[in-house]
Amino acid sequence: MSDLDRQIEQLKRCEPLKESEVKALCLKAMEILVEESNVQRVDAPVTICGDIHGQFYDMKELFKVGGDCPKTNYLFLGDFVDRGFYSVETFLLLLALKVRYPDRITLIRGNHESRQITQVYGFYDECLRKYGSVNVWRYCTDIFDYLSLSALIENKIFSVHGGLSPATPTLDQIRTIDRKQEVPHDGAMCDLLWSDPEDIVDGWGLSPRGAGFLFGGTAVTSFNHSNNIDYICRAHQLVMEGYKWMFNNQIVTVWSAPNYCYRCGNVAAILELDENLEKRFRVFEAAPQETRGAPAKKPPPDYFL
Amino acid sequence: MEWESDARELKAAGAEALGGGRVGLRIRGWEIESSKRSILTSSLVQQWEEKLQTSHLPEMVFGESSLVLNHLSSGIKIYFNAFDALCGWKQEGLPPVEVPAAAKWKFRSKATDEVILDYDYTFTTPYCGSAGIETNPESGRETSEEGSCSFHWEDCQEQINMVALASKEPILFYDEVILYEDELGDNGVSLLTAKVRVMPSGWYLLLRFWLRVDGVLMRLRDTRFHCTFRESTEPIILREICWREDTFQALSSKGYPSDSAAYSDPDVIRERLPIIKRKTQKLSFT
Repeated sequence: MSDLDRQIEQLKRCEPLKESEVKALCLKAMEILVEESNVQRVDAPVTICGDIHGQFYDMKELFKVGGDCPKTNYLFLGDFVDRGFYSVETFLLLLALKVRYPDRITLIRGNHESRQITQVYGFYDECLRKYGSVNVWRYCTDIFDYLSLSALIENKIFSVHGGLSPATPTLDQIRTIDRKQEVPHDGAMCDLLWSDPEDIVDGWGLSPRGAGFLFGGTAVTSFNHSNNIDYICRAHQLVMEGYKWMFNNQIVTVWSAPNYCYRCGNVAAILELDENLEKRFRVFEAAPQETRGAPAKKPPPDYFL
Repeated sequence: MEWESDARELKAAGAEALGGGRVGLRIRGWEIESSKRSILTSSLVQQWEEKLQTSHLPEMVFGESSLVLNHLSSGIKIYFNAFDALCGWKQEGLPPVEVPAAAKWKFRSKATDEVILDYDYTFTTPYCGSAGIETNPESGRETSEEGSCSFHWEDCQEQINMVALASKEPILFYDEVILYEDELGDNGVSLLTAKVRVMPSGWYLLLRFWLRVDGVLMRLRDTRFHCTFRESTEPIILREICWREDTFQALSSKGYPSDSAAYSDPDVIRERLPIIKRKTQKLSFT
């Protein structure tokens, strides 16, 4: 058994790798990811997965439903880390699979694959807690800069974490983005990872936060038409039912973190496409408490004031 | 990992668990119950949007969760739910808060002809709980709203006795119910929760709205309730409303950290935010 196979087995048990192993793994991953396009080509059949957010045991449920990699070809739409308890193990397992089976798993970047966001929403603290230093966080966030921005399945289905950008109406314009950097606060790369579809706008809208684009049905129709796309598959937003179509089936949101943040009670979904691009949504629930490893302890009384 | 009541302590205090799959207890003429459910389904979200006349709700609305405190002999019911809180949000209708990146976007967005949404995406609410009289406590159905019944909240000089509450009396029941939550599209947190603890001497409750818009501002709107058990038909309940707010800029000029990561615990934040509104009220009967 190779070192890599052994590491994959170890990560599947939710045991993190040594710091030196993480460093070596990230170096190998970098060599593979640097060659990928901003619009990475993906062949069918493929199974598309949305946000995971460090919910390692729920991702194991996902693999139970969808099948193991490399038998199943996977496309993950980003947001591997933050919020859940096991961002380290989750991301490293996906990365190890990528290095082992580069043609059977595609990882694209979500808005949480960023230095700034991970410092606020959990991944940074988790690395510090599990390794006693921030080196592993550094290796991982350096790799984030190499992750592709989107995928194109059989030239027909465009997949991205957030959504569209008014700055890149064509796929060729997305291909020219220089992606090897921290996610910027504005511009096309930021939009692809951050924007949301919105019912009440038709073309483009601006979030009430003053930053962040919203795109409506007309914007989607026009993008799909000019790029000869059947529909867009994206993640980024929690959906109670696991997936949600909008704008007459021109865009679908897929969400793969069941019982999000361990309290929302939502189901999760993955989208299986066969060799003819026939769709099948597979809906699944969170892993049962007893398979989660950590013992359920009675909390001490909370004398809050 | 739920809180579990200690059977011996319950018995000693003359309390009993509600049982039958319900979470809560009966004690000294009160019935206190929490229910925690999933977030609203897409079709319920749509119904709520129509009822509230809005096109936006928090990402996570625990619409069927609630915390209810029923005083059986008087029929007084104090309760907490997301719907009433969101009615308050809608009514207050604060203008939106711009995130730091907005400055850059101003000139960028001119290039695209777009609609600017202007609702209060922080879901800030003045909600400080709901109250009513249950005319038929048995069925638990008919509740007349506060205002139309024989009690109201009246400003008072008395204060909640925090010293007594700090004593380590046994906790017979504890629970925290999240009413709604939003991640502000990864620009911070907006969270409304109600937590309660019940001791042999009385119950204490904290309803807290917590907002952090990363790099911009923080708000805490706390409402505390304290009821001391006694043998009377009408309960004595004090309620303290305390609002705190400050900008990151003001905090950093006071020497506090200005990165959002330093503000993940509302109790720490509370110490650092100045009070902008405070009053104590007493439930009064007419």
